[in-house]
Amino acid sequence: MTGAPAEPTSSHEYQHLAPLFEELAALDQKDGRRAALRDELVTGHLPLAEHIAQRFSGRGVAKEDLVQVATVGLINAVDRFDASRGSDFLSFAVPTVMGEVRRHFRDTGWLVRVPRRLKELHLSISTANTELAQRLGRAPTPSEIAAHLDISQDEVFAGLEAGNAYHSMSLDEVLSGDTENLALGDTLGEEDAALEGVENHEALQPLIQELPERERKILGLRFVHNMTQTQIAERIGVSQMHVSRLLARTLERLREGLTEQDEDVLSP
Amino acid sequence: MGAQRYPRNYGEVKVADRQSPPLDAHDDIELRLGADLVHLPIVRSVVATIATRADFDLDAIADLRLAVDEACSTLITRAIPGSTMRCLFTVSDDELTFTGTVHSDSDSSPSTKSFGWRVLTTLTDSVDSRVTSNGQAGHQIDIELTKRRVVVDA
Repeated sequence: MTGAPAEPTSSHEYQHLAPLFEELAALDQKDGRRAALRDELVTGHLPLAEHIAQRFSGRGVAKEDLVQVATVGLINAVDRFDASRGSDFLSFAVPTVMGEVRRHFRDTGWLVRVPRRLKELHLSISTANTELAQRLGRAPTPSEIAAHLDISQDEVFAGLEAGNAYHSMSLDEVLSGDTENLALGDTLGEEDAALEGVENHEALQPLIQELPERERKILGLRFVHNMTQTQIAERIGVSQMHVSRLLARTLERLREGLTEQDEDVLSP
Repeated sequence: MGAQRYPRNYGEVKVADRQSPPLDAHDDIELRLGADLVHLPIVRSVVATIATRADFDLDAIADLRLAVDEACSTLITRAIPGSTMRCLFTVSDDELTFTGTVHSDSDSSPSTKSFGWRVLTTLTDSVDSRVTSNGQAGHQIDIELTKRRVVVDA
């Protein structure tokens, strides 16, 4: 996942708020001042929510939505925090807020409503896929995944199928957001030459140039360098299933682009 | 392709003037659907399901989805509008074969120099296209592709 929750912001920024938790805890449940204190705590910690939202931005979910989700997480954290346990609010709030944002990605990353059990099954299959591919040096089969996870083949089928409802702008993007920096850029010229023999080369070229960096690389690795999706996944640092989704999307985009050009030529 | 006999026309464009597969070929799966891009997701899921159940590795399954997608797109853009596409899937011990068929006004076979063809040859172990004329009802175009199963050490 996203690793250890890094220090999102220096804790002394919020130090003046710490006594408010004790004050809040001391107040009677019915005390009218509770609401005002709670507001002050939430508002005071808002930069924390914004900071965490920022970390997850640029991955297909609007920044405002992320801030909103993170703020909900922050409110939950304020409500659930127990000052009497002696722990620090930030070390409690950061995982809570991040969890809320992750859940948002997980829930909105699916095009159709898929039961949580299936989503989790899909995630564990994806993980097993990566582990087995490393061990075997090739993509595993469903029966190998079933044996590895100690589940039935039918469950593997169900989990794989659930993946088809998975939006590509999703958890994978969150997990692998910073992979643009691949030492592959220099192979672009080579790829260009390899595609030169293709008859619609001129039409294709601008379409390929328009692709996002990573999609272009995956396309080249698959169709020029003839690497398998598993090999590409390892090289790029994303899951094989994600490579599969990106490739499908890219090919569709190229096909649409070429068809449009044909229509332009045909129409008077 | 099989012998062409019993020409039928039920007011639709004929696609399958092909002899039905023998009934004992129980591993064959045939799908008929409108030659329209909106149906692509169905064909994709069918080939993925067949390959998954046949225990192909995940790379092969993903490649098959993309290849069938590409082959069907190529066929559909050549098909007579409003006509039918037939997809035939055959699984044997060591390979999965897909054959897509449409009727077309044109007798030109899909170009083997196109980017789409490059995609098909990369994703599969063999791919072939055929154009056959069947008298007055235009031309029949087939694309047949095969993916071999990777030998898994027991």
